[in-house]
Amino acid sequence: MIYPKKLSSKKKDLIFKIFLISSFIVGLLLVLINKITTPTTPWAALANAGIIYIWITVFYSIKKNTNIAGHVLIQAIAISLLTIYIDYELGFEKWSINISVPIIIMIANITMLILTIVSYKKYIKYAVYQLIIVIFSMIPVILISENIIQNKVLSIVASSISIINLIITLILSAKDVKAVIIRKFHI
Amino acid sequence: MKNKKENKLNWRRLDNSAKIFPIAAGRKYSTVFRLSAVLKEEVNEKILYQAVNRALEQYPSFKVRMKAGFFWYYFEYNPKKIIIEEEKDYPCKYIEPKTNNNYLFKITYFKNKINIDIFHSLTDGNSGNMFFKEIIYNYLEIAHKNELKEERKSRKIIECDTEDSYIKNYDKKAKGNSSSKKAYVLKGKKIRFGGISTIHEIIDLEALKEECKKYGTTVTQYLTAVLIYSIYEANYKKYNYKGSKPIKVCIPVNLKKYFPSKTISNFFSYITLEAEMQKENLNTFDKIVEFVKSDFKKRLQEQEIIKTMSANVKLGNNFLIKIVPLPLKKLLVRLSYIEIRKYTTITYSNIGRIGIIGKYKNYIDYFLMLIAPEPVEKIKCSSCTYENKMVFTFTSILKDNSIEKRFYEFLKEKNINVEIESNGVLDDISEEIK
Repeated sequence: MIYPKKLSSKKKDLIFKIFLISSFIVGLLLVLINKITTPTTPWAALANAGIIYIWITVFYSIKKNTNIAGHVLIQAIAISLLTIYIDYELGFEKWSINISVPIIIMIANITMLILTIVSYKKYIKYAVYQLIIVIFSMIPVILISENIIQNKVLSIVASSISIINLIITLILSAKDVKAVIIRKFHI
Repeated sequence: MKNKKENKLNWRRLDNSAKIFPIAAGRKYSTVFRLSAVLKEEVNEKILYQAVNRALEQYPSFKVRMKAGFFWYYFEYNPKKIIIEEEKDYPCKYIEPKTNNNYLFKITYFKNKINIDIFHSLTDGNSGNMFFKEIIYNYLEIAHKNELKEERKSRKIIECDTEDSYIKNYDKKAKGNSSSKKAYVLKGKKIRFGGISTIHEIIDLEALKEECKKYGTTVTQYLTAVLIYSIYEANYKKYNYKGSKPIKVCIPVNLKKYFPSKTISNFFSYITLEAEMQKENLNTFDKIVEFVKSDFKKRLQEQEIIKTMSANVKLGNNFLIKIVPLPLKKLLVRLSYIEIRKYTTITYSNIGRIGIIGKYKNYIDYFLMLIAPEPVEKIKCSSCTYENKMVFTFTSILKDNSIEKRFYEFLKEKNINVEIESNGVLDDISEEIK
């Protein structure tokens, strides 16, 4: 006997599919119950948004040993979208874009800054995610210019932190950036 | 600290053969091969972890991960820890970098067996074997400190480098062999859910050599003939093939036998035997043996091998190909590979004798080699020899294992002792053979 008798990879896939289908059924059931019992309050939509958010996290976490910066980026975008959706479902009083999103952006940037300072040589590994976070962090600036946001201070602080963060990491890692450019573009 | 930074910035190009593998590889076409050692004792995970780490210190060229450049992939130092796991999955599966700490080889174990699955970009069968043997030596030295004390002191590590021996040795003026016709593709239904059947036929080497003498062949030639005969009997005839496509067997060739090289990177080429079953009326084993002998003689000439190797090097070295951005290269190669694969019926790789020195032999039962099958080449064959055991392995995605069965029966008819080991994917048929 030189091989394991039962190979589990396909079983795992099957279990995974069962869970996915189950959550889909649960989601549908929730909508049905919501429609039948309390049609005026769309709580099932909130619950389903929660289920989707969990799956985003699960799908991402399944890929073990993932890049932490990538994880920060995905979580920041997912939580922001979730809070905006909750806000929208509750009458869109804009607390999500005034308070939640800027705070999420600040947390994401501060996490990235800590990651960069603690191990700045890993900057290159985080570079792409860092860049996307910076782009994402510019959204409040657009919202301010369009006069959609009332609480401007928090959004300006969030976007500024993001730019400062980018500058610091660039200064810390200039040499590595050069080395990587040579490596990436070798013919 | 400085060393760490140097390592991090340390990178190297992929050799000429290796360039193609990451571009073409995917879940269905893994380009992974496996080497296994079946010990006479149960494997200890902690000792194995130490043994692999020691081997990585001795062969740092394996401590790498692959990164995408703008034009080509490249290797760079991998600072992460190696992952050792108990074997759970099918052999030679695609190595998912993220679940393997980005290493391009995977170490697993099961009871008495240690496996290394290697992505072909990293190295070929012969150099992979060198690294694997180092792991086995280290493992035994740690597990049997007192018994192998003297052996450890006297054992020397084989020196090697990472040069691209293709570039160094190819002939710029050599013209490639003209392209031939498409090959007969093995018929039959595939195993569901991505399963891979593995059947090892453990052959008595002495008896096999005696049989080879009768036909005046080498062991590789003889087994190639048995393989073609088995395909002819159990697939070609069984599915009543009426077309004119030949059974084509691709046989990798170790180029270190032809050129001085210490490289641990890929350095192999291949020959392709074309058995025109109908045109040359190859309907008996004796006729097939004669064909194999003459075709080997024709194709295994140094000039022929240089031609094939040089044509491939020239292709990879072509400036116009070089400057195509990697994503576009990927798309083009994957599309063209669907066609290229149709030019081989089966691959048979024999890495030959695995030499183990001194007292270490007392702890090893035998070695195995496996190659990943793929959607077009549904069966791949490999073999290796240790002491008096030659293990011929079929890795297959076909539900029908009549070829494996016919191969086994043929050797038995010749009074050659053959034992069967399998991974039990096709339990019923494996039992039938036993």
